[in-house]
Amino acid sequence: MHKRAFGTVSSAAVTCVAALALSACGGGTTPSTSSTQPAGQSSSTTTEAAPAPSESTTAAPVRDANVDLVIWTDNDRAAAVKKYADQFGEEQGIKVQVQVAPDVRANFKDATNAGKGPDVIVGAHDWLGELVQNNAVEPIPMSADVQAQFSPEAMGATKFNGQIYGVPYAVENIGVVRNTALAPDAPKTYEDMVKNGQSLMKAGKAEGVVVQEVGKTGNAYYTYPYLKAFGGGIFAVKDNGDYDPNKVIVNSAGSVKGAQQLALLGKEKILSTNVDGTNADALFDGGKYPYYITGPWAIDKAKKANIKYAISPLPTIAGGQMEPFLGVQMFYVSAKAKNKAYAEEFVLKYVTKKEMQVDLFNIGHRPPALKAAYDEVSASDPDVKAWFEAGKGALPMPNIPAMNAVWGPLGQAGADVISGKAKPQERFDAAQKEIVANIKKG
Amino acid sequence: MKSRSPYVILKWAIIAVVLAGIVYAAGLFAANGQLILVVVLGLIGLAILAVYATRRAVPMKYLLPGLIFFLAFQIWPAVFTGATSFTNWGDGHSLTKQESIKAITQSSVVEVQGQPRYELSVAVKEGGDVATADPVYILTNPQTKQVYAGTKDGLTELSATDVTRNDLGRVTAAKGYTILNGRQVNARQDLDDFTVPTRGGAAIKKVGLSEAYEGKPTVTYDAGRDRIIDHRPEAQGQPAKVYGPSNATWVNVQNPDDRLAQGWKENVGFANFKNALTNDTLRAGFLKIAGWNFVFAIVSVLSTFLLGLALALLFNDERLKGKKVMRAVLILPYALPGFVTALVWASMFNQQFGLINNLTGLTVDWLGNGIAAKFAILLTNLWLGFPYMFIVCTGALQSIPGDVKEAAAIDGASGFRTVRSITMPLVLVAVGPLLIASFAFNFNNFSLIFLMTEGGPFEGGQSAIGSTDLLITYAYRLAFTSAAPNFGYAAAISIFIFLIVAVASWFGFRQTKALEEVN
Repeated sequence: MHKRAFGTVSSAAVTCVAALALSACGGGTTPSTSSTQPAGQSSSTTTEAAPAPSESTTAAPVRDANVDLVIWTDNDRAAAVKKYADQFGEEQGIKVQVQVAPDVRANFKDATNAGKGPDVIVGAHDWLGELVQNNAVEPIPMSADVQAQFSPEAMGATKFNGQIYGVPYAVENIGVVRNTALAPDAPKTYEDMVKNGQSLMKAGKAEGVVVQEVGKTGNAYYTYPYLKAFGGGIFAVKDNGDYDPNKVIVNSAGSVKGAQQLALLGKEKILSTNVDGTNADALFDGGKYPYYITGPWAIDKAKKANIKYAISPLPTIAGGQMEPFLGVQMFYVSAKAKNKAYAEEFVLKYVTKKEMQVDLFNIGHRPPALKAAYDEVSASDPDVKAWFEAGKGALPMPNIPAMNAVWGPLGQAGADVISGKAKPQERFDAAQKEIVANIKKG
Repeated sequence: MKSRSPYVILKWAIIAVVLAGIVYAAGLFAANGQLILVVVLGLIGLAILAVYATRRAVPMKYLLPGLIFFLAFQIWPAVFTGATSFTNWGDGHSLTKQESIKAITQSSVVEVQGQPRYELSVAVKEGGDVATADPVYILTNPQTKQVYAGTKDGLTELSATDVTRNDLGRVTAAKGYTILNGRQVNARQDLDDFTVPTRGGAAIKKVGLSEAYEGKPTVTYDAGRDRIIDHRPEAQGQPAKVYGPSNATWVNVQNPDDRLAQGWKENVGFANFKNALTNDTLRAGFLKIAGWNFVFAIVSVLSTFLLGLALALLFNDERLKGKKVMRAVLILPYALPGFVTALVWASMFNQQFGLINNLTGLTVDWLGNGIAAKFAILLTNLWLGFPYMFIVCTGALQSIPGDVKEAAAIDGASGFRTVRSITMPLVLVAVGPLLIASFAFNFNNFSLIFLMTEGGPFEGGQSAIGSTDLLITYAYRLAFTSAAPNFGYAAAISIFIFLIVAVASWFGFRQTKALEEVN
């Protein structure tokens, strides 16, 4: 776009190489946002509330040598984290610094490699595999009675190879958000949604039935619930609860059954590859779509658009119960922390406090991972209860590195099936082959 | 020679400041153990002294700053990329082998079932240095209230009368020991590796400042055989899993699919290059993508140039009114951030909700059909690129002296003939090199493709080779979206891309030289 006015050939060409080298230094696999939803999918809808100012800069914060504990977080959570970091600092008589870092995932990995990383980071659970691969984080030996204070789903997401790597504080997942002006009742089945939506369209009250991000390259995060409804999914689960990268089940009978449902919905124009992260919110907030399959990140905008909404769990489809992926937000301790003792003390004694979990809830409005905090906030906030119900019993999004090889192929397979460009069985066989080959290449 | 003019003092002050900065930076690098950088900084400092502190080397006085920046921002990244291409550096291969062994064994410690969490006070023997003396863990069993002193040799019970406890049961003073405060505990990095052995290979480890637990590593390293052994299956009566080194990862000797996450970085010679040349997907996609890559770059340059030139010619005409305003409007697309523009265009091309189909009544799936997507990309790049060409052409046109055109008119040349035979050659001499630079830029126009289509649409039931993929976006996906993002492989591919661009540009420059000789 910006052309180089003085570019001689050699310098232009060398810069290209340089740019690639720099981007390599900047890490960057799936450029994840603050939300656990993979950003490869669409960052615009998953970033919460205001876009962080951090997006304009990519440089990681510089560590202050005179500080006893350094915590990295994104902009949204910084205020709540700082409040308790200050408390902790006062109690211990030390200086704690909370730094707002852009792209925590990549910057943390690189800074830690260079020995300049923070002691604690706040991040999503699906970064875990990558961070373990690079020895950037280490297990947190949490005692059994502390573990019992958290929801078992959240604890499950903090584990890699059987070890706990972080203290969770929030859980997020998708559900059905409905416009109560058009759809007063929570849908029990997908078929109900379609029936109601189509009659609304006939009556001229609606322009479509369901808003769901698909996009031209697809979105595996939203495809998964359809596969899971019939016992399919992405990876089989090992005995210890970990996903098994060697057992990809993208073309299992259950997954293909889900893909057939996607094809059907695409054919009926319920789902469309023309709906993507850039327009999904606007479509629902226009008030002409009764149902929106999405997560808590879409609520703020709907509220601003004065949409009367209600949240319910994903419905059954052709008799199978759809189930979303769980995303968990947690506090990690760096494996190369300069202040490991303070870091462990902070995450184990402070992040496990009810007050801190409630304050963090007030920023992101995700159900807290600590049972006591959840009980407190769900008593007064029907939304959080609804999100929690929508995620009950769901499995965490895979945190193994092999997941990196899944997003592209599975997303595209879903898009091709919805757009009718390919048949479910063949297309998901091809996706399976691609994924397995990519993982083998590892 | 007059002595000590204010400029001389200023000169020395600047030299002193720069050298001080270099010494400071060198100190930082030295502290981090990056000795090569210290040497490089030293050489730079010497060069600055030699060039600016003496009266010699006058041309170097002008060249040196540029040279230093050239080294730092062009040569160093290129060398770094080259060096990286011979390694397997990437996720899962960023540690040394020793670090990977340590990471694997240390992160395998599991808490022994049924043992209490001890209240911990870290201490040293009375009179010992709190920072260096052998640590002693004063441990209180919260159930039995018994107090122990734990050293690297094991536990010994302490008499309850010798210790003072606070309300929480933690020991705050013990006879014969000095208790460390939080800051002192935190400062002792050696406590990470310190354990108090108990029985059966288990040991007591510290968590945080004031808690300790009994844990046991479940994975061990056998240095003699260079094997990592995972003992966890033994609990279920199965044999331990044994991992050996293979391709810089620990691989289960029984089951090659079972690998440990933490591998190490090593030199792989030409393996990345060989991989790039023999990779099936890469080979299959290469010609198709390279072909489109050339089409994209050439058409982008030509279309933007022609539109820019046409507009420049138009606005160079004296008869046209309101030129200043119009020129400002035309430059607007160039002034808007390209990232925003690309996203806006992407949404305008939406089949169902996009402006373009809605206005024209078409139902083209712009970004979902390979050919349409290529057209959409070229159109967007035309919008993004023509203002630049407009600016440089306007500049070139205005530098053509008016008498040349007058002479042509006197000779009876038509307006078209003047443009073709007089104006164009003169303009091309001026903008030719810029066209080549624009080609090199567009050849690697990663951001436009990534923001508009992510390389897609992916046709024919696969997700590896997109219809609008450039080599650079393709390389990115190949290197970074496999199970383990691989910087070494990406660097190798970027070197190939560099060679292609270099050769293409070299031909381009030969052409412009020929152009100059014509004149």
